[in-house]
Amino acid sequence: MLARLDEVARWAQSSSVWPLTMGLACCAIEMMTVTSAEYDIARLGSEVFRSSPRQADLMIVSGRVAWKMAPVVKRLYDQMADPKWVISMGACASSGGIFDNYAIVQGIDTIIPVDVYVPGCPPTPDGLLYAVNLIQQQIREGGRGGILARS
Amino acid sequence: MSSQPLTPEIVSQEGNAMVLSMGPQHPSTHGVLQVMLEIEGESIVKAEPEIGYLHTGIEKTAENLFWSQAQTVIERMDYLAPESNSLCYALAVERLLGITDGIPERACIIRVLLMELTRIASHCVWLGTHGIDLGAISVFFYCFDLRENILDLQESAGGARMHPNYVRVGGLNGDLPDGYLAKLDAFIAKFPGRMRDLRGLLQANPIFQDRTIGVGVLSPEEAVSWNVTGPSLRGSGIAYDVRKAFPYTGYDTYEFDVPTRKQGDAYARFLVRLDEMEQSHRIIEQARRRLDVPGAVLIDDPKVTAPPKETIALSMEALIHHFKIVSEGFRVPPGDVYQAIESPRGELGYYVVSTGENRPYRVRTRPPSMYNLQSVKGLAPGNLIADLVVILGSIDPVFGEVDR
Amino acid sequence: MPSTQTPPIAGAAIDPPSLRPPIDDATIERVEPAALRARLEALKAEGYAMLLDLGAVDYLERAPRYDVVYHLLKLPPKIAGVSEIATPLRMRVLCGVSGDPPRLPSVMDLWKSADWAEREVFDLFGIVFDGHANLRRIQMPYDWEGHPLRKDYPVRGPARERAPRPAFVNKNNVQAGTPPSGRTLEALQEQVKRIREGDAP
Repeated sequence: MLARLDEVARWAQSSSVWPLTMGLACCAIEMMTVTSAEYDIARLGSEVFRSSPRQADLMIVSGRVAWKMAPVVKRLYDQMADPKWVISMGACASSGGIFDNYAIVQGIDTIIPVDVYVPGCPPTPDGLLYAVNLIQQQIREGGRGGILARS
Repeated sequence: MSSQPLTPEIVSQEGNAMVLSMGPQHPSTHGVLQVMLEIEGESIVKAEPEIGYLHTGIEKTAENLFWSQAQTVIERMDYLAPESNSLCYALAVERLLGITDGIPERACIIRVLLMELTRIASHCVWLGTHGIDLGAISVFFYCFDLRENILDLQESAGGARMHPNYVRVGGLNGDLPDGYLAKLDAFIAKFPGRMRDLRGLLQANPIFQDRTIGVGVLSPEEAVSWNVTGPSLRGSGIAYDVRKAFPYTGYDTYEFDVPTRKQGDAYARFLVRLDEMEQSHRIIEQARRRLDVPGAVLIDDPKVTAPPKETIALSMEALIHHFKIVSEGFRVPPGDVYQAIESPRGELGYYVVSTGENRPYRVRTRPPSMYNLQSVKGLAPGNLIADLVVILGSIDPVFGEVDR
Repeated sequence: MPSTQTPPIAGAAIDPPSLRPPIDDATIERVEPAALRARLEALKAEGYAMLLDLGAVDYLERAPRYDVVYHLLKLPPKIAGVSEIATPLRMRVLCGVSGDPPRLPSVMDLWKSADWAEREVFDLFGIVFDGHANLRRIQMPYDWEGHPLRKDYPVRGPARERAPRPAFVNKNNVQAGTPPSGRTLEALQEQVKRIREGDAP
């Protein structure tokens, strides 16, 4: 009986994942494109991108994270209410990307836990949609772990 | 953030002023910008933008890569108009190499075509986000639909939607594929109708006019002192456009106007950018007519560009040159050069210094967005916070370029 | 005329603008630090109303070590009634400085745009501009040590070790790293073994 309720709760959660506007650099433009009419992330349930971390449950870190911005990202992640998920969009967020230098955090999983990594520089909007699909799958199956999304 | 020092010029001793940090995560700051505002109620007394939240060390990284590899990191500066970075860097290096006159005609035409397509794409993003900031959300969808056509063209030619790295030192990375010209014709035909739609959505909208007319007035003297260039400068009446003043890639052979307005407010800058999109369309039509003649797209200099793959199996010299170019990169004679182009944001310039090696010694960017953004310090005081959103949108900063 | 086969120049006596005839449309001038302020004031009075850019280059082995480069633009006066202007003129002023820290006079009062440009040169190169109202770091975090664009600053940062990867938070009692579909490495190895032995996969 409780298992059914759990399933329904997870189905509801997975059908209305609201991302946080964490658009940093070029990947942010592809993230904006994902909200446009051609790719339309709203049909997956992400109708609105909330700017307030209290109202969002998915943080899509899209773009290169400089060391000056890293405490901001961490603080916003901490401010998000549980349950929360993180997509590391793009090569720079996943591993530092092409910028192996003094200024860029070499992978945001050094500061916050990540659920799905999306490779690409920038990934196509289809890649991001697939990543959100994987997040939904994870929510429904109750699992967690880094899974590489093909873009 | 707690580590941000409150400098004396921000905190005033008297009055009811409150210091508010707007950003760096904010829906309307167009990227990672923090504006430290000193406000009384809703009115801004002082504004100091704090940048650097996207500092990527691109200039330092470029010093450790080959000339052609450095182009890939440099392309990611102004991410709304990637071709402009690529093109300006390629032109600068070509000047250092002395091959500017040897670039094939077809490559120059396609470069102009790409530059103008990028200009339209960048202005689409500007218009869409400007509309969203002001609450006109449907503009966003129209703009990004138009942008999809351009990204489709870019993907078919260069291989990637954004950052295709298609413009190379010496020409282009391959000719246009089959079917490109047909898609381009379809885009050219679609554009005027879509432009009418975009104008119809916002230009005569009383709410939009109320929010932008008279807001953020930049006088010509202030604009020159703040070193503002591009549509923001032309909105204040000064018709300085690098394409006309210091032509490059054959821009002097195309007919186009440079739109200007005198009022200097956010509405004037809005109109200037819309007019610019139409002028870009005019240039694209002219470029399209010249593309019916086939030709080479890469200079035939084995010391700079790799020979075509087909010749490697037949000629020993071609194989050696290809090997050297790929493994060591080409070397650029020592010297320095300042090359500027008109990017959608203003005058984008690169001061490139070479010491004769196969890597750049220094690539200093003249970032138009950074200087345009600095003018916010002069524009914001006296306005409401809501007006600051309008001002930031009308200046159109891109933080990849501001922070590099 | 140098070519791609010219051997590279070592840093000891390098002065790139003087290596060959000018290849862009700017007039180039080299000025000593003591004469810099006067020269820039004179240029501004002459009509160079725009300080297009202020950058620096670090020639590590040369004395003076740094070159601070000022790019200026002269916009001819607008003719009344005509919005097209005659060709503008470009100017490039180079000034070699050395020292610990190297010091130059600020031109913030001549051109407002010098504010952030000088802060950036200070931040990335360590060149101090006397007379600047607010000389503090602009690109790097406020408590950063070192000046990254100097040639003796390593590209990856002075002491970059990869931060240890954190253990994942397991909220749902699923083993970290288990794919939801259950296809672990062991399962795949089993499958390969079965195929090799001729059983159904």
